[in-house]
Amino acid sequence: MNKLAELWSDIVTCWGESSSQYLTGALKTLELAVVATAIGCIIGLGCGIIQTIPCSKNDNIVKRIFLGIVKAIVRIYVEVFRGTPMIIQAIFIYYALPYFSNGAINLEVTFAAYLVVSINTGAYMAETVRGGIMSIDIGQTEGAKSIGMNHFKTMLYVILPQTIRNIIPQIGNNLIINVKDTSVMFVIGYAELFAAHKAIVGAKYIYFPSAVITLTIYLIMTVVFSLLLRLWEKKMDGPANFDVATTDTLAHTSGTYSFVKKSERRGR
Amino acid sequence: MSEPILQVNHLSKTFGKHEVLKDIDFSVNTGDVISIIGASGSGKSTLLRCINLLETPTSGEVIYHGTNIDKLKGGASAYRSHVGMVFQSFNLFNNMTALKNCIIGQTKVLGKSKAEAKKAALHYLGKVGMAPYINAKPSQLSGGQKQRVAIARALAMNPEVLLFDEPTSALDPQMVGEVLEVMRNLAGEGLTMIVVTHEMAFARDVSSRIVFMADGVICEEGTPTDIFENPKNEKTKEFLSRFLSR
Repeated sequence: MNKLAELWSDIVTCWGESSSQYLTGALKTLELAVVATAIGCIIGLGCGIIQTIPCSKNDNIVKRIFLGIVKAIVRIYVEVFRGTPMIIQAIFIYYALPYFSNGAINLEVTFAAYLVVSINTGAYMAETVRGGIMSIDIGQTEGAKSIGMNHFKTMLYVILPQTIRNIIPQIGNNLIINVKDTSVMFVIGYAELFAAHKAIVGAKYIYFPSAVITLTIYLIMTVVFSLLLRLWEKKMDGPANFDVATTDTLAHTSGTYSFVKKSERRGR
Repeated sequence: MSEPILQVNHLSKTFGKHEVLKDIDFSVNTGDVISIIGASGSGKSTLLRCINLLETPTSGEVIYHGTNIDKLKGGASAYRSHVGMVFQSFNLFNNMTALKNCIIGQTKVLGKSKAEAKKAALHYLGKVGMAPYINAKPSQLSGGQKQRVAIARALAMNPEVLLFDEPTSALDPQMVGEVLEVMRNLAGEGLTMIVVTHEMAFARDVSSRIVFMADGVICEEGTPTDIFENPKNEKTKEFLSRFLSR
């Protein structure tokens, strides 16, 4: 019990003296994780869509070659960035330019960090999106085609909205992984939460109490994101109930089909 | 008789070595209600899917108003917006309400305004008896209701021809009744329809022409009276004897 009381008092002291450092670090972690996940999703969406563009033997040769090359590039990108550790990718990208330019050109640390996490997430998301698109019943595509939609419109209005709903859990996974894994960006000197922890430890030699604080902050961030993502999922599902229109729907043709206020319609 | 809307010439389709359609010829005129009947696996659905280019024919051609559909301006998409299709498995867009299902094609493909599209959508949904359910998502509807919305969605595009691919095969007898009722009314209004069906009573009473298919070829073609009362081909006789003796 004594040891626990000591730990608690150490934590209180440590937090009291360095709380602003922790919070600044946590904020930087959040920014990096959220922005890079968002950019990664966009990259992944693009790559996933490219990978699923249909290509038949009847298409003209230029289109087939062009599409083949683009698809190959996407495949290589996915394999390289999914298949190597992010910590090495960060070092690789951050030090490549100075090496080749003999120190004349340097990447800014923040930019390098955002770049590495984004393209890393993008590689994972590309496969997630591809799987998401393939999981949508072929009937949805045929239904869209049967009313004259081309591939682009079919994707935009029918397939992707359903795909995105289905991959939200996976986007959440990536976001939470990024909250934690951005900690490796300390190797290029990005001052996020783990870097803050290292700095504080280096100055005060109180390794364990600081680790407890850091761990707790990480856990709070990830749990909050989990809850937010669940809320988003519910919102995308829409109301569980609908209302049968009892009045003549043809009498008024604009703006009157929502019979009950949205707030009352939520059935869950 | 005026120029046919659709004309199928020497159409064949093979999946690998399996020959599903062999040298099919037939044509569709305005106001025709053509029922395609035959045993499962005889190529009926594949023929319909070839007409709508959901399957690419291996050889032969489909002529739409005198033009080969491979050479039409706007390609397959533009062609499909004139030739609607109703599927066995409904294929309503799961992410949209019944109303939105009927609006999306009008605004995004035909370029109509939202208000105009909504008016048409409500009109057709009312016509198939689905006006009360416009806010429901497909997952909240029964099979028969889904199929009626799917018909409204196809009608909202104002198609010249509507293709039905076994529209009642996934439904229970009561729902079959409600969907056939809608189709009967459409036929009565002069809509040009090609219906792949196992509902022999519907085919006999509603069609202007019956096409009987077996093993990938058209065995016999004629008026309902010809086919049902006076079949000439042995295969037709055998197929119908099972239905008529019921």
